[in-house]
Amino acid sequence: MAVDAANISSAGASASRLRLRPHWPFIAPLILVMAAGFAWPLLHVLVNSFHPNTPQGLDAEHWTLTNYRRLADPLYGEILLRTLRISAAVTAISAVAAYPVALFIARLSPRAQSWMILAYVSPWLVNTVVKALGWTLLLRSNGVINTALRAIGLIEQPLRLLLTETGVVLALVPGHFMFVLLPLWTAISALDPALSWAAGTLGATPAGVFRRIVLPLTLPALIVGLVINFIMNMTAFAIPMLLGGVRNQVASMLAYQVDLVSLDWPFGGALAVALLGFTLALVFVGQKLAVIGLSSRGGKPEVSPS
Amino acid sequence: MSLEVAGVRKAFGSVRALSGVDLSVPQASFFALLGPSGCGKTTLLRVIAGIYASDAGKVALGGRDITQVPMHRRNMAMVFQSYALFPHLCAFDNVAFGLRSRRLPKDEIRSRVAEALALVRLEHLLQRYPCEMSGGQQQRVALARALAVRPDLLLLDEPLSNLDQRLRDEMRVEIRDLQRRLAITTVLVTHDISEAFTMSDRIGVMQEGRIVQIGSAEEIYHRPANRFVANFVGPINELPLTQVEGDAGGARALLAGQFSVRLPALTRAGPPGSDLTLILRPQALRLGVEEGETANRYGAEVEDVVFLGASSECRLRIGPLRLLAALPAGSGAKLAAGDKVMVGWDAADGVVTDGR
Amino acid sequence: MMLAVNIVMLVAVLAPVLLVVWMSFTPTASFVLPLGDFSLRWYREALSYPGFVDAFFLSAELAAIASLITIAATFLAAYGLVRFRPRGREALMAVFTAPLLVPAVVFGIAMLQFINQLGLYNRLVGLVLAHVILVIPFAIRSLVATLGAVPEELEWAAMMLGRSRAGTLWHVTLPLCAHGLVTAFLFSFLLSFSEVTTTIFMSGPSLQTLPVRIYNYMSDRIDPTVAAVSALVVMISLALVLALNLMGGFRRLAAR
Repeated sequence: MAVDAANISSAGASASRLRLRPHWPFIAPLILVMAAGFAWPLLHVLVNSFHPNTPQGLDAEHWTLTNYRRLADPLYGEILLRTLRISAAVTAISAVAAYPVALFIARLSPRAQSWMILAYVSPWLVNTVVKALGWTLLLRSNGVINTALRAIGLIEQPLRLLLTETGVVLALVPGHFMFVLLPLWTAISALDPALSWAAGTLGATPAGVFRRIVLPLTLPALIVGLVINFIMNMTAFAIPMLLGGVRNQVASMLAYQVDLVSLDWPFGGALAVALLGFTLALVFVGQKLAVIGLSSRGGKPEVSPS
Repeated sequence: MSLEVAGVRKAFGSVRALSGVDLSVPQASFFALLGPSGCGKTTLLRVIAGIYASDAGKVALGGRDITQVPMHRRNMAMVFQSYALFPHLCAFDNVAFGLRSRRLPKDEIRSRVAEALALVRLEHLLQRYPCEMSGGQQQRVALARALAVRPDLLLLDEPLSNLDQRLRDEMRVEIRDLQRRLAITTVLVTHDISEAFTMSDRIGVMQEGRIVQIGSAEEIYHRPANRFVANFVGPINELPLTQVEGDAGGARALLAGQFSVRLPALTRAGPPGSDLTLILRPQALRLGVEEGETANRYGAEVEDVVFLGASSECRLRIGPLRLLAALPAGSGAKLAAGDKVMVGWDAADGVVTDGR
Repeated sequence: MMLAVNIVMLVAVLAPVLLVVWMSFTPTASFVLPLGDFSLRWYREALSYPGFVDAFFLSAELAAIASLITIAATFLAAYGLVRFRPRGREALMAVFTAPLLVPAVVFGIAMLQFINQLGLYNRLVGLVLAHVILVIPFAIRSLVATLGAVPEELEWAAMMLGRSRAGTLWHVTLPLCAHGLVTAFLFSFLLSFSEVTTTIFMSGPSLQTLPVRIYNYMSDRIDPTVAAVSALVVMISLALVLALNLMGGFRRLAAR
């Protein structure tokens, strides 16, 4: 008996040792790809940001913090402010529209729901340059919107929507709405319907059910979505470039200028690092907000923040 | 308050969940809706609560037609199978929820919540969250939440099915006691026969969207309205009858074409010889009966005796017919396979049905 | 009221795309919404414009190569994660989905500098690498879900009947995952085909993918020709989306 037990336990031990090994050949290729194509370039650019730039190009011999100090220049402050302004406006509008749209969709039949979600998601899979073209056609002085408004008689002179911040905001809202809608709709769909029924039979009006049950339980998901949406707004390129123009420069356009025109890669690197740092900080804060709201209520997060 | 349901119909797309349901529950009584899954009992409960709007028919509470009244104004309360406790609220806030909807003053809320939690003996759990409670505790908080609003009607949707057996037995008694003490009209939905029998005053058996019988537990057990009810509620012997003839005084027929049998008076007139069956409970069969003791008496051979603890089961053969008899503890010890024994039952025992 | 918000949003989301398609049929040289007299004139222009044709083939080639590489590597990794359940499983998933945390612009800058300093500027290799990285987070989620749906018992049965693990993977697991693999491939293809920002930052003069080509054209002028080529892009993309939807692909992609 004792011999059998010893055999079994040592067989178990070596089996668990073996378990750690055999997965590596399967996972290794992808890890190599990520290392070569993701980790290394990011490290590379981080290192670049600490080198000074000279008329002959990047000076790899010396190290400096100048590039980061340059970020504090008020000239760039204006760009940052504009980027934040536009992003905040888009996120705010998306936040307001999120619940009405998500609730509406969640109440449709399952088939209708999947078609609606498809309708909202598929434009994201059409590249953003084409969408920028569409918005140009809509927002131009003799574009669809202005022509329609003049035809109804609402305005006399065409509205200047292109080459303005307004135009950029208008185009970014539907472009990035999906990132808010999907997490929220998922959370709403995951709610046990009995919770709403229980609240209803206990006297809560439909508005009360939303305010006291649906909202608190789905807010963390909305927050996660809004953070993603904000980040996408901050780092958008094609739409601000084509619809806003050089007079409405945002962070990504500055990056283009620096990296592809001035070829000042050290500064470009610093800019990239700063943008990434800002993004990661936002994600971190967003996750904390989402989880804090729940843990104080002892509940498990319904949406895994990611 | 009393509950009246009349002619309620409800369909989901092409699925007819309720095909005309009528029932009435007197004030302060406990009514159980019993049936297999899919029979529509939960749908009916939800229509009564106002969660679903019926396609036809009416629901009245205390004589008042509430069919058009939205669910948040019906003053009913429901305990759900999953308890449906609000996960982001502690026990106090869960129980207080209905009271806050009614905008009661803070002091009254506090005292009524304490009162409700005391009723279910969970006063110490005020600040706990649902995820920190056991299944049994959650169930009792759900009950307290329903009772706190002093509803006119209490609806229970299989509230005990997620609990283990011991807790379930405990809670059955507790809920029944509470209901009696507080005199709240209550409707329970369950598929568990013993639950319906132990807790309710009257039972409505549902089959495929209709109520097929309403009665006390005894009536349903001993005088089932049809084969479905009889079979659902307990084991039965089904004996095909031929050459049925009878009148208001009594009836007789042939069993298996050979044995003459005396039947209870036929309430359902069928053309003689139509497809009728005698349904007998195993308990109705008496073994070792003397001549003249019972109206029906036959020689039988014992096939098998199974000891089940509190009782025994005995499989018998009368000619080609196979029957199941239930024997109280102890009596089966004298019988063994192969024994010959006289089996009998009274004419009034059993029910004649037309096989539905 | 909710209905109104929904309609406005839905229109805002769909309008630019549908408008481009509609406008591409305009019979005149300026943008007039064609109401009846649809013309294919601009399509002919677009298809005879070598810049667009070359860009299309480059985009397709790039998307195909990047997707193949991604699917192959990701499938193996997903197999390793799902079947062997290694201890660092969550950390590895976090690593593989990390590109989602890096904005396209930042990644574009990083790849631009990296590729240049390796001397690989204006070469397909660089673009393939970038697109592979961008697509991996979606592919890994999808393939982990796909593999999760194949019961492990099937593989045990095969191995007990004598096949090696590699043989089982090839003869048993892979065929069972065929549907999921095709879905993941199509989605990767679509993502790569539509990739804009990172690609703009990395594109050299002779390596312009279709979106980049359209972007450069639009920076210069806006005319119905570019509307026509854009409309073609829309049609291709939506066709792929519909194909994916019919295959039930989106459900798996949403799985976490």
